[in-house]
Amino acid sequence: MRHLSFIFNFEMTMKKFLKHTILFALFFLIFYIGMVFVWGVVMPPRFRPNLTYPLGAHGFMHTRIQEVKNTNNVDILFLGSSHAYRGFDTRIFEEKGLSSFNLGSSAQSPIESQILLKRYLSKINPKLVVWEVFPATIEGDGVESALDLIANDKIDYLSFGMAWELKNISLYNNLLFGFFREILGMDRDFEEPKSDGTNTYISGGYVERSLEYWHVKPMPAKRLTINPKQLEALEKAIELIKSQGRDIVLVQAPTTATQYGSILNNTMFDSLMSRQGYYKNYNQILALNDSLHFYDSHHLNQAGVEIFDTKFIEDLKTNNWLK
Amino acid sequence: MSLLFFSSSVDYWVGLVLEREQSPRKRKLYLWASLGTNLALLMFFKYYNFFVDNFVTAFTFFGINISARSLNIILPVGLSFYTFQSMSYGIDVYRRKLKPTKDFVTFLAFVSFFPQLVAGPIERATHLLPQFYIKRNFDYDKAVDGLRQALWGFFKKMVIADNCAVHADMIFNHSSEYTGSTLLLGAFFFAFQIYGDFSGYSDIAIGISRLFGFDLMKNFNFPYFSRDIAEFWRRWHISLSTWFRDYLYYPLGGSRGGVLKTIRNTLIVFLVSGFWHGANWTFVVWGLLNALYFMPLVLSHRNRIHIHGISPGRNLPTFREFLSIVCTFVLVVFAWIFFRAQDLSHALDFVGEIFSSSFFTIPQFEGQYQAVTTLILIVLFVCVEWLGRNEEYAIGKLGLTRGKPYRWAFYGFILFMIGMFMQSNETPFIYFQF
Repeated sequence: MRHLSFIFNFEMTMKKFLKHTILFALFFLIFYIGMVFVWGVVMPPRFRPNLTYPLGAHGFMHTRIQEVKNTNNVDILFLGSSHAYRGFDTRIFEEKGLSSFNLGSSAQSPIESQILLKRYLSKINPKLVVWEVFPATIEGDGVESALDLIANDKIDYLSFGMAWELKNISLYNNLLFGFFREILGMDRDFEEPKSDGTNTYISGGYVERSLEYWHVKPMPAKRLTINPKQLEALEKAIELIKSQGRDIVLVQAPTTATQYGSILNNTMFDSLMSRQGYYKNYNQILALNDSLHFYDSHHLNQAGVEIFDTKFIEDLKTNNWLK
Repeated sequence: MSLLFFSSSVDYWVGLVLEREQSPRKRKLYLWASLGTNLALLMFFKYYNFFVDNFVTAFTFFGINISARSLNIILPVGLSFYTFQSMSYGIDVYRRKLKPTKDFVTFLAFVSFFPQLVAGPIERATHLLPQFYIKRNFDYDKAVDGLRQALWGFFKKMVIADNCAVHADMIFNHSSEYTGSTLLLGAFFFAFQIYGDFSGYSDIAIGISRLFGFDLMKNFNFPYFSRDIAEFWRRWHISLSTWFRDYLYYPLGGSRGGVLKTIRNTLIVFLVSGFWHGANWTFVVWGLLNALYFMPLVLSHRNRIHIHGISPGRNLPTFREFLSIVCTFVLVVFAWIFFRAQDLSHALDFVGEIFSSSFFTIPQFEGQYQAVTTLILIVLFVCVEWLGRNEEYAIGKLGLTRGKPYRWAFYGFILFMIGMFMQSNETPFIYFQF
C-alpha cells in the first residue's frame, strides 16, 4: 500500500509540474511577444540592444526595396554587399545602353541574397545576374544584413525561415517586432531621406559617396574561414538563377592592395568561387591606387568606381556575358 | 574522460584499502598514493609548461642555458574541480569521517556529477555521496525552487557577466590606450563580470541539481556586500575556501601555534589558492594580495566579527556598514586587476596608470554608450541582490507570497531581459579554463 501511495504521489506531483511547465511555456510565449512590442515602442535604443530594428538605418535599403517593386525587365541585376551597391553605378551602365538594377545591401550575405532572389528575381526578370562576392560576407553569419532585410522589406514565411536558420536572438526579436509593425501598418508612411550628406541614393539602387580618399594604414594579416551555411546558400541561389534560364557572373570587386594583401589565402577563395561558375577577381585585373581610388580600406570612391565599371562593361562585351 | 576514469579508479581503490588497513603508517602511505596521483595529474596538465618556462628563464638569468621544451598540452575541462572533489573523498575516508563506497558506479557518479563537474561547487563526499543512495522522490516545490535559482543564474551570466565582459575585455585588452579612470572602470566591470559569470554558473548547477533532487552546497553568499575581507572569503567561492580551510589550513595548524605560524599558514593557503586558479604569476600575486588584506584581521582576531547576516531587519545598511562594504569592494576590485591581467607587467602598468594624474579625467573608451546601459543593469542587479541578501539566492523568496500571475510575470520578465540583453556570440564561462 505504501508503495502504491508513493507512486500515486509521484504521479500527482510530476503531473502538476509538467502541467505547470506547459502552461508557463504558453504564458511566456504570449508574454514575450507582447513585451517585445511594448519594449520596442516605449524604450529608447539604449535599452533594446537586441531590438535595433534598423528601418532606413543604412544603405538605403528601404528606398531600394520600394523601387524594386516597380522594376522589371532589366539587362543586369547586381547582388551583394556594399561593394555591389557602392561599386556598380547604374548610371554608367545606362550610358553604355545597359539597363540595370542594384539590389545590393549592407553586408548582404548569400543567405539574404537567396531570399531577395526568391522574392524579386522573376519580377525584375534580368538577363544576367552579377553577384559581387566579398569574402567577408561568405565568412560571416549574415545577421547584420538579415536585420536590414527584416526592417526594410516585407515579412513573410521566408523571413521566418531565415531567422530560424540563423538562430540569433536579435533576429527573433526584430522579426516579432517587425511583424507587428507590418500588421499595424506602422511603417506605411515612413519616408527615407535620399541623402545623408555624404551618401546619396541614385535611382536604380546605386549609392554615391562624396569623393574622399583613404589614408593608408597597415592591416593585420588574416586567413579566410568559409561559413558552410553561406556557401550552401550561395550554391542554392546560383541553382535558382540557372533554373530560370538566366546567366550569372560572380565578381570580386577591387579592394585596396593593403586589404587584399592582408588575406593569406585568397587563392583558396578564388578556386572555391571558380567552382561555382564564371568568376572574375578584379583585385588581380585592375591596378588601382589605395588612396586615390578608395575612400576606406575596401570601398571604391567615385573615381575608382568609374574605372572598375568601365573595365567591367568592357569584359561584359568581350566575353559576351550578356547574350 | 579517461583521465577522470583513471583518477576516480585510483581514489575508489584507495578508499577501499584505507577502510581495511589498520596500520597508521600504511594508511598514510595509501593516502599519499591517492593524493600524489591526483596532484601529479594536476601538475602535469596545468602547471608543466609554467614550471618549464620559469626554470628556463631562471637558469638563463644566471647565464646557464638549458634546453627544455614546453609541451602543447590541452587542459582537461574541470580538472581542478573534480581532482579536489576526489581528493576530499580520500582524505575523509582516511580521517574515518566517511565510510568508503563499495559501489564503483556510484563513486563515478559522485565525481562526475554533471551539473557541477566542470566548474563546481566542489562538493564533499560526506555531503554528496550519501545522496546517491537515498531514494529520491520528485518534490514539486524543490523542483520549482531549483528552476528559479537556475533562472537567476542564467540572468547573472547572460545579462550581467556577458555585458560586463564586453567592456572589461575592451579596456583590459587595450589598456595602454586608456586613462586611469577608464582602467578603474574596466576593473569594476571585470568585478561584476567574474561575479555574474561564476556565481551564475553555481546557481545554474545548484538549481539543476535540485530539479533532480540533489542538494549542492552554497558557493556564493552575496560576497560584494561583505564588510571585511575575511567575510568576503566566507562568501566567495565557498566550496573552495572551505576546502582549503579543512584540508590545508587546519592540517597546517591554522591559527593555533603563534603569530608566525598563523602568518605562514595564511600565506600558504592564499598562495596555493591563487595558484589553483592558473599557471600564471598574476594568480599568485592575486592570492598574495588577498593574504595581505586578510592578515591584519586574523592577527588582531577580528576575522570573525561579521559572521551574521548583513543589515538584518533593515532596508538599508548603516553608514558605517555602507562604508565597510565600499572599502572591501574597492580592495577586491584592486586585486581583480591582477587576476584579469595577461601577465605581471600588464597588471603593474594597469595599476600604475590608475595611480597617475589621468585618474582625474572622464572615462572614455570604445563602447561607452552601451557601458552606461550596462551600469544601469548593474545597479538594478545590485538592488535585487540587496533585497534577497539573506536568502539562499537573490530571488529565492522574492514575490513568493504573491499570486501565480505576478510570479509568472516576474519569471517571464527575467527571461525577457535575457532575450533583450544577452550577447549574440558565445561567451564561455571564465572558470571553465581552470
